[in-house]
Amino acid sequence: MGLPGKHWQEPDGWHIDVRGLVSPEPMVAILGRIETVDQDGTITVHHDREPIYLYPELAERGWQHRIVDSDAGEVRLILTRQP
Amino acid sequence: MLGGSFLGDARDRLLPAAIPFRFFAAAAVFYVLAWAVLLAASDLPDFTGGLGPVLAAIHLLTLGVLAMVAMGASFQLLPVATRQPLARTWPASLCFWLLSGGTVLLAFGMAEGASLAMNSGAISVTIALLIFATLTADNLRRARGLPVVAAHGWVALIALLGVVGLGLALSFDFQHGFLADHQAMALLHMLLALFGFMGVLALGFSLILVPMFALSQTPPPRLGGLQLALAFLALIFVTGAVLSGIAWLFWPGIAAAMAATGIYLWQMQHVLKSGMRKRLGLSFRLIRTSWVTLPIAWLLGLVILLDLPFPNAPVGFGFVVLVGWLLTFLLGVLQRIIPFLASMHIVDENGQPVLMSDLTPELPLQVHAGLHGVAVLLCLAGIFLQSGVLVQIGAAAGLTGALAYAGFVISVSLRVFNATGSKSANG
Repeated sequence: MGLPGKHWQEPDGWHIDVRGLVSPEPMVAILGRIETVDQDGTITVHHDREPIYLYPELAERGWQHRIVDSDAGEVRLILTRQP
Repeated sequence: MLGGSFLGDARDRLLPAAIPFRFFAAAAVFYVLAWAVLLAASDLPDFTGGLGPVLAAIHLLTLGVLAMVAMGASFQLLPVATRQPLARTWPASLCFWLLSGGTVLLAFGMAEGASLAMNSGAISVTIALLIFATLTADNLRRARGLPVVAAHGWVALIALLGVVGLGLALSFDFQHGFLADHQAMALLHMLLALFGFMGVLALGFSLILVPMFALSQTPPPRLGGLQLALAFLALIFVTGAVLSGIAWLFWPGIAAAMAATGIYLWQMQHVLKSGMRKRLGLSFRLIRTSWVTLPIAWLLGLVILLDLPFPNAPVGFGFVVLVGWLLTFLLGVLQRIIPFLASMHIVDENGQPVLMSDLTPELPLQVHAGLHGVAVLLCLAGIFLQSGVLVQIGAAAGLTGALAYAGFVISVSLRVFNATGSKSANG
């Protein structure tokens, strides 16, 4: 299954842009990408809202999130594995 | 710049935990009560309507469990899906007290034939459902995206208006006898409640929740739209059939309903097949079981329309739809969303969120799933064999399973209440 949203790689890891997607597609895109990332990898999520329902699913998979500065109209999250 | 307003919006969409969990905990209690009342009554196979414990048990399930969970889940999930917060949260709390108190009064009045209690309960429940309809309509009106799911919500709300109007009239009609055909109106009330309100709501929420649980893409909107159009058509035909007394109108009604069911089940199958999460757990065993009962319901519907000599087909039809499909589906969904929502509110001693898996005790849920299945089968056997004793044995299994389920729901709810209570106490 192709993941929804735009996915690309940069030196700091995977980036996913899920802006404009409707529920539950952002969650599907992010959790689907997590499955493909190696142990030290990070994922940067470009979202248009805080994905509050994503957090329990991230924790269940041993991932954590932090929200960082972003452009207006964007909520940007950095996802990393829990130490 | 940090997307401050966006973060604020997101938190606004997450209700105080006490609101949805109050509904869920109450639903678990009503679930136990419904089986207990059915256990005490032995006349389900002979049920043809009218006051008594069977009618009370039915309303403990429809109002106490189905509507209670629908309200709690809608208040919490809809604002996140539509990206619009509830306009106010206090009416949601008011809804809870009116619905839970009203359901107790209504069920007591129905079981005992006590008009004052029944009518007071009916008024209280009506107000609760109308407040729910107003809040939901306001949220759907402002919804961004998800037009197909929102359209399901609108159809469910239209049906709900019919359900509450008829329900109130039926309650007062027991005492005053002003309806020309009480039984026909009771049939319409039941059809609109089960298929129009709860059924369409279940179809609509499935389009978001099942892909979310299975980690799959949502089905194409045109299929969801077609499913809804057919379901709406079915409701119009059966409403016309009951109101006009033209029996053949039931035929296009059931045909449209079967087509809607076929499209729905095809979409769900496709979602599960293409989903990234294959091990969906015990909750999906209940959800899949509920889907199996839908075609059985339609077979029984055809038996009734063809007037085939099958014992107790109408009671069997009602039981399969209410308990086999809607209740089983909803228990499966609730079992999945309770740990999910709870984990957003509870932290462990290190300040980390408690995992969903730590909030999902396997044993009581396995006991419940097994006993629920046994209860449905035994009660159906009792209905078709016209054996009150079999129904009571089934109800005893259902009651034991419901106690296990209630233990799960209430223990998680108490953890949420304690966590959120201590948070507020600490400022």
